[in-house]
Order: sequence, then C-alpha cells, then structure tokens
Amino acid sequence: MTEKGPTPLERFINGILPENPVYRQVLGMCPTLAVTNGMKAAMTMAAAVAFVLVCANILTSLIRNLLKPHLRILVFTLTIATFVTVADRIIAAYMYDMSKQLGPYIPLIIVNCIIICRCEVCASKQNVLTAATDALGQSLGFALALASIASVREILGSGSWFGIEVMPAGWPDWVVMVLPPGAFLTLGLLLGAANWIGELAARRRTTQGVA
Amino acid sequence: MSEEQQNQTEVAPAPSLEVAPGPHLHTTKLSTRRMMADVLIALVPLVVAALAVFRMGAVMQIVVCTAAALVAEYLFTAMRGKPFSLGDGSAAVTGLILALSLPGTAPWYVGAIGSFSAIGLGKVVFGGLGQNVFNPAMVGRAFVMIAFPAAVGASAYVDTSSVVEAVTRATPLTALKQEGLPTSLADLFIGSTNGSLGETSALACLIGGLYLCIRRTASWEIPAGVIAAVAVIAGLINLTDMQAHWTVAHHILGGALLFGAFFIATDPVSSPLTPKGKWIFGAGVGALVMLLRKLSGYPEGVMFAVLIMNALVPLINRWTIPVPVGGPVPEPKS
Amino acid sequence: MKDNYLKQAWLVLLLALCFGGVLAGVEHSLKGRIDENKKADTLGQIPNLVPGAVSASFSNGVYRAVTQNGDHAGWVLLVTGQGFADKVELLLGLNADASQITGVYILDQKETPGLGNKIVEDEWRAQFAGKSTQQPLEIVKRKAEKDNEIEAVTGATISSETVKDMVNRAAADFRRQLASGGF
Repeated sequence: MTEKGPTPLERFINGILPENPVYRQVLGMCPTLAVTNGMKAAMTMAAAVAFVLVCANILTSLIRNLLKPHLRILVFTLTIATFVTVADRIIAAYMYDMSKQLGPYIPLIIVNCIIICRCEVCASKQNVLTAATDALGQSLGFALALASIASVREILGSGSWFGIEVMPAGWPDWVVMVLPPGAFLTLGLLLGAANWIGELAARRRTTQGVA
Repeated sequence: MSEEQQNQTEVAPAPSLEVAPGPHLHTTKLSTRRMMADVLIALVPLVVAALAVFRMGAVMQIVVCTAAALVAEYLFTAMRGKPFSLGDGSAAVTGLILALSLPGTAPWYVGAIGSFSAIGLGKVVFGGLGQNVFNPAMVGRAFVMIAFPAAVGASAYVDTSSVVEAVTRATPLTALKQEGLPTSLADLFIGSTNGSLGETSALACLIGGLYLCIRRTASWEIPAGVIAAVAVIAGLINLTDMQAHWTVAHHILGGALLFGAFFIATDPVSSPLTPKGKWIFGAGVGALVMLLRKLSGYPEGVMFAVLIMNALVPLINRWTIPVPVGGPVPEPKS
Repeated sequence: MKDNYLKQAWLVLLLALCFGGVLAGVEHSLKGRIDENKKADTLGQIPNLVPGAVSASFSNGVYRAVTQNGDHAGWVLLVTGQGFADKVELLLGLNADASQITGVYILDQKETPGLGNKIVEDEWRAQFAGKSTQQPLEIVKRKAEKDNEIEAVTGATISSETVKDMVNRAAADFRRQLASGGF
C-alpha cells in the first residue's frame, strides 16, 4: 500500500481546523447537540471520544493488512464498541455524577461517525504513526468545536463557564440556550460564522495571489 | 430543439418575455412601504389602549422594541452588504408588534433580545424581507418566552406592587385556567384587563383590524377563518359543557385572539397566497389556538398556533394552486 | 466450505474473544466501585434527609435510617408522582414515629427550566423540614403564615402542588402502615 498524501504532521493540523470534524465535515452531530449545555459535560464527552478514537485508530492500523474488505466494517464496529464500553465503565466508576448527566450519550459514541470515518478513511490504510496523529488531530478539532458551542451555551444560558460564575450578578439566564433549541441555534450560527471566516480567508488568499 | 434553431438563438437572443396566465394587473399602490404604513396606522388604536391601561410599562416596551428592531435591521443588513431597508418600515412594524405582544412588566432586555432574535433569526437568516418562513415578531417572542419564562410566562403578567390596577390581577386566560374565574365581557371588550400590551382591548383590535381589511393590506379571509374556527370549537365546547365559564364571545374577545387574527396571522410574507389557502390557514390557526388554550400547559396559544401554521404555508400554497383562466392546463401528450 | 468460512472470519472471531476478555477484566475490576457509587447516590442523601442518621437499610420499599451508634433515627421514602411536564421522583425523610417531615430531596424532574425546576433548590425544599404530618400541607402564593403552609415557587404553582401532593400522600400512607404495625 503506497503512503502518499498528507504527512502525519499535516494530518494532525488538518484535523484541528482545516478539516474540523464538526465545522467542516459536519460529523458527530449527536453529541455536538446533546451534551454542549455545559463545559464540564462537553469536555468529558470530548475526552471520551478522543480516547476511543485514538485507541480504535491505532488498533485498526495495526491489523490493517489482515482486514478482509467485506468484513472491515464489522471489525471497526467491534473495536469501537469495545473501547466505548471501557470508557463508559471508567467514567461510571470514577466520575459517577458526570456519568449520570451524560446518560446514554457515552454508549452512543459507538455510532459517532467521526470514529468510523477515521478508521475507514485513514487508519485502515496508513501506518500506526499516521493513524495516531490523525486521531489526535481529529479529537482536538472535535474538542475545540464542542468547547466553542458549549462556551456560548453555558455563558448565555447559565452565566457560568465550567460551573464558575463569569457573568455579573444580575445576569438573566437565557434558559433557551441550555435547552435543545439553543443547541440548534448555536450550532447553526457558529457554522455560518465558520463558513464566513473561511470564505474571507480564501478571498484574501486569492487577491494576494493576484497581487 | 434542432441544431438550426439552436444556432438562431445564439445569433440573435430574443428579448426576455415572461409568460403568465391573466389577468395582468399592476399597481404602484401595493408597495411594501405603503402596506407597512397602513399597519402602523392600524396599530395606533392598540397603542393608545396600551398606553391607557399600562402607562409607563407600555411606553418602555414600545420604545425599546422598536428601537432595537431598527438597530438590528441596520446591523444585519450592513453585515450582509445589502442596501439599507429601514425605509420600508417593516422592521418598525416587527418591533412594534413584538412590543404589543409582550407584558408591560417584562424588563428592558427582554424586548431588546426579542427584537434582535425577531430580525436576526426570524428574518435575516432566511434572506431578508419576503423570504422568511415564520412571522418574525412571533419568532422573537417565542425566543424570549423560552429564554426568560419567569419574565414572559403566565406568572410574569401579574405585578402585585404595580400602581396600574389591571396589572395586579391575573390575565383573564390564566384566571380561567388556574382558578376557573370568568371575566366580564365588557372588560374584555374595552380592555381594562391584564395581558400583553396590545391584546387587552378587543375594541382597539377591531378598529385597527377593520381598517387593515378595508385597505386590503390584510386579507379579510385570514381573520374570518380564525374567528370562525374559534367560534365553532368554543360553541361545541359550550354545548357539551353548559357549566363552562367562557362562552364563544369570551373566547373571541379574550386573550390575544383578535390581535393575532388581524395583525399577526395576516403577515403577507408568512401567510398563503390564494383566498382558499387563506381560509385554510385562518381556520388552522383558530383550531390550534383552541387546542392550546384547552389542552396545553400554556393559558394562551396564539403565538404557537401562528408559528405552526406558518410552517404549513408552503404546503397550503401547493394544495391551493388556482386554476388558470381557460381551464386546467391539459396534460402534454406523450 | 467450512474451512473457507474460518479463513475469512478468523480475525473477527479472534478479536471478539480478545475484546470479550478485556471487557470482562474491566468489568471485574470496576464493578465494585460502580455499585458503590450507585448505592451512595441515594444513601449519600440520608444524612441530609434525616438529621443524625449516617446510614440506612432498605426493606419493604423504605429506607430505615440509623445513627452512628445504631439507634433508629427515621425513615426515607422514595415517592414518584406526575408533575407539570413529566414524572417527578423525590426522597422524603420522616422522623422515627413519622410525625414530622425532616427533609425532601428531588431525585429526578423535567419541570419547566427557569420556573418549575426551581423545586430542586435548597431554599424551597427547606420549607418542608420540620413540618408536622398530622395535617395535610397547603401551597400558598404568598409568604407562608400558618404551620402547614408552603410558599409556592413563583410562577410554578402546578409543580409546587405536585411536590406537596406527593409529600402529603406518601406521609399519610406511611403513617397508616406504621400504625398498623407494618414495619
């Protein structure tokens, strides 16, 4: 298998912003919408996804030459499900309150399409180093996206950040922001802002290229 | 198309002509600006009634909402690089209707945030005036109602320390829903009850609304449909439950029904195009209002009823495409 | 044929075996901790619900709270009821002869955020502590004056009534059971 395409470092950087899983690929919408009403929950989710993604990518990359094409999805799912269950148990054992708050969303990482996408697109074709850096970059990108949405929602909706009061005492909580509609509104507006910034940057590049 | 014809069109492009079924009417009177001016004139009786009942609360809410709506319109059109559209008055109308749909006791930021979400989320994200699916003022109101339930919800209307007598009592619909208390028809008609700024006086709503209908700025089919549906459903309820505190007249004169029927549901952008569609739309709003009043946790349902029916407007338009003059278009022979 | 299937699926089978082993190991090493957490979730509230209690034993649907030196301190009941939006689940603490409410804790609720969900706040729940169970409690929309009155959460009369009804019903039922020697 030839190993052309982006170098491991490029893959790492790509995952963070240029190919951000949420803002560019629009993958993993379920946790993005469901657990971003507070920073604590969002960061726990991001950490769990990072753990599963890195482990699954490394393992898939290790066994990539043994994979039968028509059984590969089965193997990916099996691998992912195992690591998700491990993550779920660890959170239930050491962060019980968080586990209760996140409820079904930790087990639901199994169907998070970011992970199976990276297994399919990268890990099943690249060496371990590339797969690991790719997973780290994508995890970081996912964490950044969750952090941006959760910051907006928690600051407006609860007047706090990581549970610490940041707004002045008289701040009226925008209850709508911690409810599901707030997730859709925030994601939509931030997605629009991300596209707008991307477009501005692209325009600046082309005008510079001409001049 | 044969090759020869294709060559012809390339050589001499024909002038662009549009083909549409008759009648071909055009009037310069039907500009956005004129319609919005009509709405503002029609809202004058409501504003007067609101000032008479709620005094300073009404002044504050109207000033904050209208100013915030104009600022929001200016900012958002500037962001999109579009020509400024403040002159057509649509932002002022949105702000004023939003103000009249809020309680006078709501703090200033409720009106300001409501206006920004009305213009931003209700109108600009869809592409500006004429493109919005939902009534902008109601989008803004829904946003602040869910965001600040303590400041806009049913309990927010009552301020026992207020100098205005009406404000110290529960709104007629809340009194009915939670305590089973009726309100006199005369109070509902004149408007000496508690409620949102613009909704209390049925008389003011009727004067303004009839003006709009006579000027053809609002389609009379929509309020007629709303009132007919409410009358039928409230009548049926009365027939099955003779003990009901609210009669048909109560349901029509009470709450935001007339205000909603004449000023909110008739928004030309977010209501259907054909007369038949307007009847369906109006009846749907009326039926949903009664459903929400009777069975939901909220005392009043005009806002949600209008928003839900707004979402159905594209479908209603498709169902009620009028037959062109000269009968239906024949199926092309295959 | 059989040989062919095995050739194809040996990796899946092997992985399944390995993963199964790993999961069994994780479960074995963490199970104790997780069960402890679950138990502590309810039992951790007992000292707040029954003053002086440090632990409780569960039997016949109620927790029997005991003090450090094993004396019977009171009872904790798990009560569910229909709220404004969805089911409300709460723990009700009573003293040893069930004559007095010692505390209320809301375990689970989905009431309107900003209004009804204020029933979980300490300040509101604290009103219940010390109330007698001899007469049913009443919700009032002003400052509570009489002994059996609870001030409603502003704008959330229905949620407040729900909690009050649940407390009244559970306390009355339990007193009857206790009187008939049920415990």
